[in-house]
Amino acid sequence: MRFDAEWIRELLEGAPGRDELASKLTACGFNVEVREPDGDSEIWDVDVTTNRPDAMNHRGLAREAAVACGARLKPLEPGLEESGEAASDLVSVEIEAPELCGRYVARVVRGVRMAESPQWLAQRLERCGIRPINAIVDATNYVLMELGQPLHAFDLARVAGRRIVVRRAGQGETLTTLDGEKRALDPSHLVIADETHALALAGIMGGADSEIGGDTADVLIESAYFDPLTIRRGARTLGMHTEASHRFERGADPEMAPVAADVAAALIARLAGGTVCSGRVDVNPRPFRSAALELDTEKLGAFAGLEISVDESVRILEGLGFAPRVENGLVHVHVPSWRVDIERVQDLYEEIIRHVGYDAVPARLPVLPAVPGQRRGHWPLVDRARDAAVSVGLAEVVTYSFISPEQDEAASALPLVTAGPVTLDNPLARTQAIMRRSLLPGLAAAARLNLNQGETDLALFEEGRVFVLADGKPAEGERLGILLSGRTGPWDRREAVSFGDLKGLVEAIVERTGFPALTWKRDAAGALDEAEGAVLLGPGGRPAGYAGLLGTQVASKWELRQPVYVAELDLDRALAEVPLPHFHDLPRFPAVIADMTVEHPASLAYADLEAAVGRLASPLVERVELVVRYSGKGIEPGSVRTTLRVVYRHRERSLTQDEVNAEQEALRGRLASELNVRFA
Amino acid sequence: MSLQRLNEVRRSFLADLEAAGSDAEALEAVRVRYAGRRSGLLQELTAALRELPNGEKRDYGRALNELKKLVDSQLREAKRRTAAASAAGSRPMVDVTLPGRRPPRGAEHPVHLVRRRIETIFLRMGYSVEDGPEIEDDWHNFEALNLPPDHPARDDQDTFYLPGGSLLRTHTSPVQARVMEEYEPPIRIVVPGRVYRRDSDLRHSPMFHQLEGLVVDEGITFGHLKATLETFLKELFHGVEVRFRPSYFPFTEPSAEVDITCIFCGGKGCGVCSRSGWIEILGSGMVDPRVFEKLGVDAERYTGFAFGLGLDRVAMLLFGIPDLRLMFSGDQRVARQFA
Ligand SMILES: [Zn+2]
Repeated sequence: MRFDAEWIRELLEGAPGRDELASKLTACGFNVEVREPDGDSEIWDVDVTTNRPDAMNHRGLAREAAVACGARLKPLEPGLEESGEAASDLVSVEIEAPELCGRYVARVVRGVRMAESPQWLAQRLERCGIRPINAIVDATNYVLMELGQPLHAFDLARVAGRRIVVRRAGQGETLTTLDGEKRALDPSHLVIADETHALALAGIMGGADSEIGGDTADVLIESAYFDPLTIRRGARTLGMHTEASHRFERGADPEMAPVAADVAAALIARLAGGTVCSGRVDVNPRPFRSAALELDTEKLGAFAGLEISVDESVRILEGLGFAPRVENGLVHVHVPSWRVDIERVQDLYEEIIRHVGYDAVPARLPVLPAVPGQRRGHWPLVDRARDAAVSVGLAEVVTYSFISPEQDEAASALPLVTAGPVTLDNPLARTQAIMRRSLLPGLAAAARLNLNQGETDLALFEEGRVFVLADGKPAEGERLGILLSGRTGPWDRREAVSFGDLKGLVEAIVERTGFPALTWKRDAAGALDEAEGAVLLGPGGRPAGYAGLLGTQVASKWELRQPVYVAELDLDRALAEVPLPHFHDLPRFPAVIADMTVEHPASLAYADLEAAVGRLASPLVERVELVVRYSGKGIEPGSVRTTLRVVYRHRERSLTQDEVNAEQEALRGRLASELNVRFA
Repeated sequence: MSLQRLNEVRRSFLADLEAAGSDAEALEAVRVRYAGRRSGLLQELTAALRELPNGEKRDYGRALNELKKLVDSQLREAKRRTAAASAAGSRPMVDVTLPGRRPPRGAEHPVHLVRRRIETIFLRMGYSVEDGPEIEDDWHNFEALNLPPDHPARDDQDTFYLPGGSLLRTHTSPVQARVMEEYEPPIRIVVPGRVYRRDSDLRHSPMFHQLEGLVVDEGITFGHLKATLETFLKELFHGVEVRFRPSYFPFTEPSAEVDITCIFCGGKGCGVCSRSGWIEILGSGMVDPRVFEKLGVDAERYTGFAFGLGLDRVAMLLFGIPDLRLMFSGDQRVARQFA
């Protein structure tokens, strides 16, 4: 919020220089963020927090400054001269909705002549970011900036029956506000009306009908206290935000209403001539009652970690208007009408600690039980997956959790995408309207960006959440997504990325992350390439991931000009904890190795061949390794030649070559009878 | 007498061989001298066999054979060595300045690098790292944190809503609320995570990352808050000064903005710190007793402090990343710099 620095200083007796004033205000909680020289003053942009509407004006801020700088806030002197008729003879006020309007004060100034504001006043308003209009409107704005009380000036001649009624709007009632907008209202809105119709939107904006104009002779000044929630909701539903609503919705000072009316009336008479009618009309159906609190400075000291004396506490509370009184060592206070944020004694602690100064509180580390910290929830798992992905050479990206409906649709045929999407009620843009159900859209978009940057060799991953509707309710899950494209390998062995490269990475990541046994099956869902797509199945055939070449149709949605391999793992299918490794005794007798070359139709999956060998081999087989896989020249079309290395070992003695030869021969026989294979 | 002679020859052979080293000519001379067909010493010794009495022939013969084997194998070995030495001059040399065949190197995103650095600092101080949902309800995200409906402070946290009244959490603070509902004090946690606000410009992203901290126990003071955050910030940004300014957050009281001396200009004032010499780094405060009461924590018995910071901003400051948009662009050249 903008302030005129010299205006603040003028309200203080014994004001310090601007530099000291700025730093003291910052230190007590009103950060002077920007200081801009302007004539003989400075425009200050001060961060007044939303809980302090009382300091959203020069006098309120000066009160804080006085306590912070050891200065004195000058008393308020309206300088009011009344004469002639009584205001109450000229206008009547009726509050029909006292729950929405706690107080309504009216003053009348008669015989004004429209004029421009003097230079000094216009300049002050401009420093606060308010455009001067005419002396009367400017006077109300000036009082707002000085005292924080929003005012409204009506042309009394346009108030039918000279009767002000504060009431709820009727259903469908309309009002054209000062900005020229015709507003449709309902009973949740509070209006200021005359005998016939609504004149103003209470606490938000005046109406065009009763606006002050060049022919205005008699001015009715409204100075009221409106219910914060009503103003807030009203402004919100109408999409409005004004200086007045900003203050009323945060809480105005009900006791300021009559004072501000006096000050404004005096100022209008001074600037625009005319006479202030005697007395005010003051309807106060819910008089302010100050809350009483008791402060124990010992408790305060224990809370702050610093001993603070009763005298110091009293000095601060006195300056802030709490009228402290010490009795039996306790400080008794009354919460001033402008402090809407103070409800209980802890609220007083803050007042005192911030004025004692945060710097004065000694920093001392707490003594806490020496228990080791844990990483809970998903954190151990997702970071294990992240580490695994980094360890195999992938670079992490972080992409938005929301995507466009088209991107969501493009990814909807992926194996892990089964439940419906979660849509945002109020997205920022159509392209960010749907919560991602898969990490693929973000990775594909990242791939496109990288390709456009000339980065053609890609090895990316993202770890993050996906969102779906489960039983009609939004639910979230952890995923790891991988994208490979271009070439891979060291500089002198660079090769185009293949399915095998992708699978190797996925296998390594699965192993390091800790999953139950996963089987790779060809995927037929359609989003992946039909020849190079796999789904990873966990126990019970539940999909735990997929991996493969992105199908051309999906790839074209992201305009990916080169083949892109993708994989995604459902981390919620992973083991919560990786079991501790368990050491196996090293073998004491040598292994005997026997290679075996099998020729078989390409339709026989390697996993099935390997499984058959494992099932049919003698118990002396320790392991089976794949050595060579060959198809092409010299081999029947549609067939593959697979060389397996079978490693035999006995736990308690050395095996002879003859024994192994016999076992290997028997294995060949069993394989040939079970599978459609030949031996080369 | 004759066996003695064999020993003499053996000794002199070994001595001559050593003297010849890997000199090809000298080795040839040694070969001629001992193993030459015409007048080599071994020929001579073989001839001597015939002259011996029958009783000595067997031992002498065996020793002679051994000597012959030794001479033969030693000469062969010496020759191989010599050949190898002469070949070395013409062998192709590896260009040791060529790049190596590096195994691929992965890289974590800067925001997660920073997250884990911060987690580590707090884990070392005995804090636990907590986790919570990104889809929240109004109670945990707002109401339990002293932000009732229509509270003006909700304006600062423009919220994305989902069908059925749930929302995307606007901060990591709802996890605080969940932890306080679940555990009895003492509580000492940090909560990192993704958060969402309906706001997008050069300095705001609708999705970003926060890390929140909470300590609740008997006798926790504002001085404890100061010391903890000072310790943490000096550990993360080596050598900075820390200052505390009063501020306002609905869930803490008193509240403090925490600044560090600008890490770019050392506090002298520059463009990054708007010439102030200070950079705002986190928000903090003593837990408002209203929050304790809403969450069933005995506000008479316990006090506590909480703090929160933007991980993306910290990563940008710490690593000198100039533009928030780079963080979520998906450009692999960002993360690759942190391999
Ligand atoms: Zn700087």
